[in-house]
Amino acid sequence: MITYQLTSMAIGVSLAIVILFLVRRDHLHGPYAVWWIGAAATVALLGFFPRLFDVLALKLGISYPPILAIVLGFSMLVVKILTMDLERSRQERLIRRLAQRLAMLEAQAPERSDASSQPSDTP
Amino acid sequence: MTHPDRRIVLIPAYNEEPTVGSIVCQVRQLWRCPVVVIDDCSTDATAQVARAAGATVLPLTIQLGAWGAIQTGLRHALRHGYHTAITLDADGQHEPQDIGALLQPLAAGEADVAIGAFPERASRARRIAWSYFRWLTGLQLEDITSGFRAYNHAAMAVLASREASLIDYQDVGVLLILRRKGLRTVEVPVSMQPRALGASRVFRSWWIVGKYLLQTSLLCIARVGLNPSPPAPDD
Repeated sequence: MITYQLTSMAIGVSLAIVILFLVRRDHLHGPYAVWWIGAAATVALLGFFPRLFDVLALKLGISYPPILAIVLGFSMLVVKILTMDLERSRQERLIRRLAQRLAMLEAQAPERSDASSQPSDTP
Repeated sequence: MTHPDRRIVLIPAYNEEPTVGSIVCQVRQLWRCPVVVIDDCSTDATAQVARAAGATVLPLTIQLGAWGAIQTGLRHALRHGYHTAITLDADGQHEPQDIGALLQPLAAGEADVAIGAFPERASRARRIAWSYFRWLTGLQLEDITSGFRAYNHAAMAVLASREASLIDYQDVGVLLILRRKGLRTVEVPVSMQPRALGASRVFRSWWIVGKYLLQTSLLCIARVGLNPSPPAPDD
Protein backbone atom coordinates (compact mmCIF):
# COMPACT_ATOMS: atom_id res chain seq x y z
CA MET A 1 0.00 0.00 0.00
CA ILE A 2 1.51 3.29 -1.10
CA THR A 3 1.13 5.98 1.55
CA TYR A 4 0.30 9.63 0.98
CA GLN A 5 3.77 10.57 2.19
CA LEU A 6 5.46 8.25 -0.31
CA THR A 7 3.50 9.71 -3.24
CA SER A 8 4.25 13.22 -2.07
CA MET A 9 7.97 12.36 -1.68
CA ALA A 10 8.14 10.83 -5.15
CA ILE A 11 6.53 13.86 -6.79
CA GLY A 12 8.66 16.35 -4.83
CA VAL A 13 11.95 14.58 -5.41
CA SER A 14 11.28 13.93 -9.13
CA LEU A 15 10.46 17.57 -9.73
CA ALA A 16 13.52 18.70 -7.79
CA ILE A 17 15.76 16.31 -9.76
CA VAL A 18 14.42 17.56 -13.12
CA ILE A 19 14.98 21.19 -12.10
CA LEU A 20 18.49 20.52 -10.78
CA PHE A 21 19.32 18.63 -13.97
CA LEU A 22 18.18 21.58 -16.12
CA VAL A 23 20.16 24.06 -14.01
CA ARG A 24 23.28 21.86 -14.12
CA ARG A 25 22.96 21.56 -17.91
CA ASP A 26 22.83 25.36 -18.16
CA HIS A 27 19.36 25.36 -19.71
CA LEU A 28 18.15 27.90 -17.17
CA HIS A 29 19.72 31.34 -16.99
CA GLY A 30 20.95 32.59 -13.57
CA PRO A 31 17.99 34.52 -12.10
CA TYR A 32 15.48 31.92 -13.33
CA ALA A 33 17.65 29.12 -11.95
CA VAL A 34 17.52 30.71 -8.48
CA TRP A 35 13.70 30.75 -8.58
CA TRP A 36 13.49 27.15 -9.74
CA ILE A 37 16.08 25.88 -7.25
CA GLY A 38 13.92 27.48 -4.56
CA ALA A 39 10.86 25.80 -6.02
CA ALA A 40 12.68 22.44 -6.16
CA ALA A 41 13.78 22.77 -2.51
CA THR A 42 10.23 23.69 -1.40
CA VAL A 43 8.63 20.83 -3.31
CA ALA A 44 11.19 18.32 -1.96
CA LEU A 45 10.75 19.57 1.63
CA LEU A 46 6.97 19.36 1.42
CA GLY A 47 7.29 15.96 -0.22
CA PHE A 48 9.19 14.62 2.77
CA PHE A 49 7.11 16.44 5.36
CA PRO A 50 3.57 16.76 3.93
CA ARG A 51 2.23 17.33 7.45
CA LEU A 52 3.93 20.77 7.48
CA PHE A 53 0.86 22.17 5.80
CA ASP A 54 -1.43 20.72 8.45
CA VAL A 55 0.56 22.54 11.17
CA LEU A 56 0.73 25.77 9.18
CA ALA A 57 -2.97 25.68 8.24
CA LEU A 58 -3.91 25.13 11.87
CA LYS A 59 -1.85 28.19 12.91
CA LEU A 60 -3.46 30.28 10.15
CA GLY A 61 -6.95 29.19 11.10
CA ILE A 62 -7.61 27.25 7.89
CA SER A 63 -9.85 24.26 8.57
CA TYR A 64 -9.03 22.33 5.38
CA PRO A 65 -5.18 22.26 5.07
CA PRO A 66 -4.85 21.11 1.40
CA ILE A 67 -6.53 24.34 0.28
CA LEU A 68 -3.61 26.27 1.80
CA ALA A 69 -1.19 24.37 -0.46
CA ILE A 70 -3.37 25.09 -3.50
CA VAL A 71 -3.78 28.80 -2.72
CA LEU A 72 -0.06 29.25 -1.98
CA GLY A 73 0.97 27.31 -5.08
CA PHE A 74 -1.45 29.27 -7.25
CA SER A 75 -0.20 32.59 -5.84
CA MET A 76 3.39 31.65 -6.55
CA LEU A 77 2.44 30.75 -10.12
CA VAL A 78 0.75 34.11 -10.60
CA VAL A 79 3.86 35.88 -9.26
CA LYS A 80 6.02 33.83 -11.60
CA ILE A 81 3.86 34.57 -14.66
CA LEU A 82 3.83 38.26 -13.78
CA THR A 83 7.62 38.40 -13.53
CA MET A 84 7.84 36.51 -16.83
CA ASP A 85 5.75 39.19 -18.57
CA LEU A 86 7.85 41.91 -16.93
CA GLU A 87 10.94 40.24 -18.32
CA ARG A 88 9.30 39.85 -21.74
CA SER A 89 8.46 43.55 -21.77
CA ARG A 90 12.05 44.41 -20.87
CA GLN A 91 13.29 42.18 -23.65
CA GLU A 92 10.77 43.63 -26.13
CA ARG A 93 12.11 47.11 -25.41
CA LEU A 94 15.68 45.89 -25.87
CA ILE A 95 14.87 44.09 -29.13
CA ARG A 96 13.10 47.14 -30.57
CA ARG A 97 15.99 49.44 -29.73
CA LEU A 98 18.48 46.91 -31.04
CA ALA A 99 16.57 46.67 -34.36
CA GLN A 100 16.54 50.48 -34.54
CA ARG A 101 20.26 50.68 -33.92
CA LEU A 102 20.89 47.99 -36.52
CA ALA A 103 18.86 50.00 -39.07
CA MET A 104 20.93 53.11 -38.25
CA LEU A 105 24.17 51.18 -38.68
CA GLU A 106 23.00 49.61 -41.94
CA ALA A 107 22.16 53.07 -43.28
CA GLN A 108 25.80 54.02 -42.75
CA ALA A 109 26.94 51.15 -44.97
CA PRO A 110 24.14 50.68 -47.54
CA GLU A 111 26.34 48.90 -50.07
CA ARG A 112 27.33 46.24 -47.60
CA SER A 113 23.75 45.79 -46.35
CA ASP A 114 22.52 45.46 -49.94
CA ALA A 115 25.16 42.85 -50.56
CA SER A 116 24.31 40.99 -47.37
CA SER A 117 20.58 40.96 -48.22
CA GLN A 118 21.27 39.07 -51.44
CA PRO A 119 20.67 35.34 -51.26
CA SER A 120 23.89 33.46 -50.85
CA ASP A 121 24.89 29.86 -51.45
CA THR A 122 27.38 29.88 -48.63
CA PRO A 123 26.05 29.25 -45.12
CA MET B 1 28.24 68.36 -34.72
CA THR B 2 24.83 70.05 -34.51
CA HIS B 3 22.77 71.81 -37.16
CA PRO B 4 20.47 74.15 -35.21
CA ASP B 5 18.92 75.60 -38.37
CA ARG B 6 18.75 72.38 -40.31
CA ARG B 7 15.85 70.01 -40.26
CA ILE B 8 15.27 66.50 -41.34
CA VAL B 9 12.20 64.83 -42.79
CA LEU B 10 11.34 61.34 -41.58
CA ILE B 11 9.03 59.08 -43.57
CA PRO B 12 8.04 55.68 -42.13
CA ALA B 13 7.15 53.35 -44.97
CA TYR B 14 5.70 49.89 -45.33
CA ASN B 15 5.08 48.70 -48.89
CA GLU B 16 4.75 52.20 -50.29
CA GLU B 17 6.69 51.61 -53.50
CA PRO B 18 4.19 53.45 -55.77
CA THR B 19 4.20 56.71 -53.77
CA VAL B 20 7.37 57.00 -51.68
CA GLY B 21 9.64 58.06 -54.55
CA SER B 22 7.56 61.07 -55.59
CA ILE B 23 7.13 62.21 -51.98
CA VAL B 24 10.87 62.09 -51.35
CA CYS B 25 11.48 64.07 -54.55
CA GLN B 26 8.83 66.66 -53.68
CA VAL B 27 10.21 67.20 -50.17
CA ARG B 28 13.78 67.49 -51.41
CA GLN B 29 12.81 69.95 -54.15
CA LEU B 30 10.64 72.11 -51.91
CA TRP B 31 12.66 72.11 -48.71
CA ARG B 32 16.20 71.10 -49.69
CA CYS B 33 16.64 69.12 -46.51
CA PRO B 34 17.70 65.51 -45.96
CA VAL B 35 14.94 62.93 -46.18
CA VAL B 36 15.11 59.67 -44.28
CA VAL B 37 12.80 56.80 -45.16
CA ILE B 38 12.47 54.16 -42.48
CA ASP B 39 11.63 50.94 -44.24
CA ASP B 40 9.47 48.86 -41.86
CA CYS B 41 10.25 45.48 -43.45
CA SER B 42 8.55 46.18 -46.77
CA THR B 43 8.20 43.26 -49.13
CA ASP B 44 8.24 45.45 -52.23
CA ALA B 45 10.92 47.82 -53.58
CA THR B 46 10.13 50.70 -51.18
CA ALA B 47 13.75 50.92 -49.97
CA GLN B 48 15.27 50.90 -53.46
CA VAL B 49 12.77 53.48 -54.79
CA ALA B 50 13.36 55.77 -51.81
CA ARG B 51 17.13 55.45 -52.14
CA ALA B 52 16.94 56.17 -55.88
CA ALA B 53 14.91 59.30 -55.11
CA GLY B 54 17.73 60.55 -52.89
CA ALA B 55 16.56 59.52 -49.42
CA THR B 56 18.66 57.88 -46.75
CA VAL B 57 17.03 54.53 -45.99
CA LEU B 58 17.02 52.99 -42.53
CA PRO B 59 16.10 49.32 -43.12
CA LEU B 60 14.46 47.75 -40.08
CA THR B 61 15.16 44.05 -39.69
CA ILE B 62 11.98 43.39 -37.75
CA GLN B 63 8.66 45.14 -38.23
CA LEU B 64 8.20 47.76 -35.51
CA GLY B 65 5.08 49.55 -36.77
CA ALA B 66 4.75 53.23 -37.61
CA TRP B 67 5.83 54.52 -34.22
CA GLY B 68 8.86 52.19 -33.95
CA ALA B 69 9.91 53.36 -37.41
CA ILE B 70 9.53 57.03 -36.49
CA GLN B 71 11.49 56.53 -33.29
CA THR B 72 14.28 54.98 -35.37
CA GLY B 73 14.27 58.14 -37.47
CA LEU B 74 14.31 60.37 -34.39
CA ARG B 75 17.28 58.50 -32.95
CA HIS B 76 19.07 58.82 -36.29
CA ALA B 77 18.28 62.55 -36.41
CA LEU B 78 19.60 63.14 -32.87
CA ARG B 79 22.73 61.16 -33.62
CA HIS B 80 23.42 63.38 -36.61
CA GLY B 81 22.78 66.59 -34.72
CA TYR B 82 19.47 67.71 -36.23
CA HIS B 83 17.27 69.95 -34.12
CA THR B 84 13.96 69.70 -35.93
CA ALA B 85 12.29 66.60 -37.32
CA ILE B 86 9.22 66.50 -39.52
CA THR B 87 7.33 63.25 -39.99
CA LEU B 88 4.91 62.52 -42.77
CA ASP B 89 3.27 59.44 -44.20
CA ALA B 90 4.61 57.72 -47.29
CA ASP B 91 1.19 57.18 -48.87
CA GLY B 92 0.86 60.70 -50.27
CA GLN B 93 -1.92 62.00 -48.03
CA HIS B 94 0.23 64.80 -46.58
CA GLU B 95 1.22 67.79 -48.69
CA PRO B 96 4.95 68.58 -48.44
CA GLN B 97 4.24 72.29 -49.04
CA ASP B 98 2.39 72.38 -45.68
CA ILE B 99 5.65 71.64 -43.83
CA GLY B 100 6.22 75.41 -43.62
CA ALA B 101 2.97 75.87 -41.68
CA LEU B 102 4.05 73.09 -39.30
CA LEU B 103 7.44 74.66 -38.66
CA GLN B 104 6.02 78.11 -37.92
CA PRO B 105 4.93 77.52 -34.28
CA LEU B 106 8.26 75.81 -33.54
CA ALA B 107 10.27 78.66 -35.02
CA ALA B 108 8.20 81.18 -33.05
CA GLY B 109 8.84 79.25 -29.85
CA GLU B 110 5.12 78.75 -29.33
CA ALA B 111 5.25 74.97 -29.23
CA ASP B 112 7.56 71.96 -29.05
CA VAL B 113 5.42 69.81 -31.31
CA ALA B 114 3.16 70.87 -34.16
CA ILE B 115 0.57 68.46 -35.51
CA GLY B 116 -0.82 68.87 -39.00
CA ALA B 117 -4.53 68.40 -38.39
CA PHE B 118 -7.25 67.66 -40.85
CA PRO B 119 -10.07 66.26 -38.73
CA GLU B 120 -12.52 66.41 -41.65
CA ARG B 121 -10.77 63.40 -43.22
CA ALA B 122 -11.93 61.12 -40.43
CA SER B 123 -14.67 58.56 -40.78
CA ARG B 124 -17.51 58.52 -38.26
CA ALA B 125 -15.94 55.59 -36.37
CA ARG B 126 -12.61 57.36 -36.15
CA ARG B 127 -14.25 60.55 -34.85
CA ILE B 128 -16.01 58.58 -32.15
CA ALA B 129 -12.67 57.00 -31.17
CA TRP B 130 -11.00 60.41 -31.00
CA SER B 131 -13.81 61.89 -28.86
CA TYR B 132 -13.53 58.93 -26.54
CA PHE B 133 -9.74 59.37 -26.15
CA ARG B 134 -10.13 63.13 -25.65
CA TRP B 135 -12.59 62.41 -22.86
CA LEU B 136 -10.32 59.76 -21.34
CA THR B 137 -7.08 61.76 -21.45
CA GLY B 138 -8.19 65.39 -21.33
CA LEU B 139 -6.10 66.07 -24.45
CA GLN B 140 -7.41 69.12 -26.29
CA LEU B 141 -6.48 67.99 -29.80
CA GLU B 142 -8.75 67.44 -32.78
CA ASP B 143 -6.67 65.06 -34.90
CA ILE B 144 -5.07 62.62 -32.48
CA THR B 145 -3.72 60.13 -35.01
CA SER B 146 -2.19 62.47 -37.58
CA GLY B 147 1.28 61.34 -38.63
CA PHE B 148 2.11 64.77 -40.07
CA ARG B 149 4.09 66.38 -37.26
CA ALA B 150 7.08 68.56 -36.51
CA TYR B 151 9.19 68.02 -33.38
CA ASN B 152 11.79 70.34 -31.90
CA HIS B 153 14.95 69.07 -30.24
CA ALA B 154 13.43 68.74 -26.75
CA ALA B 155 10.53 66.69 -28.10
CA MET B 156 12.86 64.56 -30.22
CA ALA B 157 15.00 63.76 -27.18
CA VAL B 158 11.97 62.73 -25.11
CA LEU B 159 10.50 60.57 -27.85
CA ALA B 160 13.78 58.91 -28.76
CA SER B 161 14.22 57.72 -25.17
CA ARG B 162 13.77 54.16 -23.92
CA GLU B 163 10.56 55.27 -22.21
CA ALA B 164 8.89 55.73 -25.60
CA SER B 165 10.13 52.43 -27.05
CA LEU B 166 7.22 50.29 -25.85
CA ILE B 167 4.59 52.51 -27.46
CA ASP B 168 2.78 50.66 -30.22
CA TYR B 169 0.88 53.46 -31.95
CA GLN B 170 1.89 56.94 -32.96
CA ASP B 171 -0.91 58.78 -31.18
CA VAL B 172 -2.23 58.93 -27.64
CA GLY B 173 0.79 57.27 -26.00
CA VAL B 174 3.15 59.71 -27.68
CA LEU B 175 0.97 62.71 -26.81
CA LEU B 176 0.72 61.61 -23.18
CA ILE B 177 4.51 61.32 -22.85
CA LEU B 178 4.89 64.81 -24.33
CA ARG B 179 2.34 66.21 -21.91
CA ARG B 180 3.94 64.45 -18.96
CA LYS B 181 7.30 65.99 -19.84
CA GLY B 182 5.73 69.44 -19.95
CA LEU B 183 6.14 69.89 -23.72
CA ARG B 184 3.65 72.01 -25.63
CA THR B 185 1.70 70.57 -28.54
CA VAL B 186 -0.32 72.65 -31.01
CA GLU B 187 -2.39 71.74 -34.02
CA VAL B 188 -1.98 73.43 -37.35
CA PRO B 189 -4.76 73.08 -39.92
CA VAL B 190 -3.42 71.51 -43.11
CA SER B 191 -4.88 70.16 -46.31
CA MET B 192 -4.83 66.42 -46.82
CA GLN B 193 -5.14 64.22 -49.86
CA PRO B 194 -7.20 61.06 -49.80
CA ARG B 195 -4.95 58.08 -49.12
CA ALA B 196 -3.51 57.31 -52.54
CA LEU B 197 -3.19 53.56 -52.13
CA GLY B 198 -3.61 51.06 -49.35
CA ALA B 199 -5.41 51.60 -46.07
CA SER B 200 -4.69 52.67 -42.50
CA ARG B 201 -2.69 50.08 -40.61
CA VAL B 202 -4.89 50.58 -37.55
CA PHE B 203 -8.39 51.13 -38.92
CA ARG B 204 -8.39 48.14 -41.27
CA SER B 205 -10.37 45.51 -39.38
CA TRP B 206 -12.70 45.37 -36.41
CA TRP B 207 -10.38 43.02 -34.58
CA ILE B 208 -7.44 45.41 -34.89
CA VAL B 209 -9.62 48.41 -34.00
CA GLY B 210 -10.85 46.57 -30.89
CA LYS B 211 -7.31 45.68 -29.84
CA TYR B 212 -6.19 49.25 -30.47
CA LEU B 213 -9.05 50.76 -28.43
CA LEU B 214 -8.45 48.37 -25.54
CA GLN B 215 -4.67 48.86 -25.42
CA THR B 216 -4.89 52.61 -25.77
CA SER B 217 -7.65 52.89 -23.14
CA LEU B 218 -5.47 50.94 -20.72
CA LEU B 219 -2.53 53.18 -21.50
CA CYS B 220 -4.65 56.29 -20.81
CA ILE B 221 -6.04 54.93 -17.55
CA ALA B 222 -2.59 53.81 -16.38
CA ARG B 223 -1.24 57.32 -16.96
CA VAL B 224 -4.00 59.14 -15.04
CA GLY B 225 -2.62 61.43 -12.35
CA LEU B 226 0.98 61.42 -13.59
CA ASN B 227 2.20 64.99 -13.30
CA PRO B 228 4.35 66.76 -15.88
CA SER B 229 8.07 66.36 -15.27
CA PRO B 230 11.02 68.03 -17.04
CA PRO B 231 12.38 66.42 -20.22
CA ALA B 232 14.92 63.64 -19.75
CA PRO B 233 18.50 64.07 -21.02
CA ASP B 234 19.35 62.90 -24.53
CA ASP B 235 19.30 59.19 -25.18
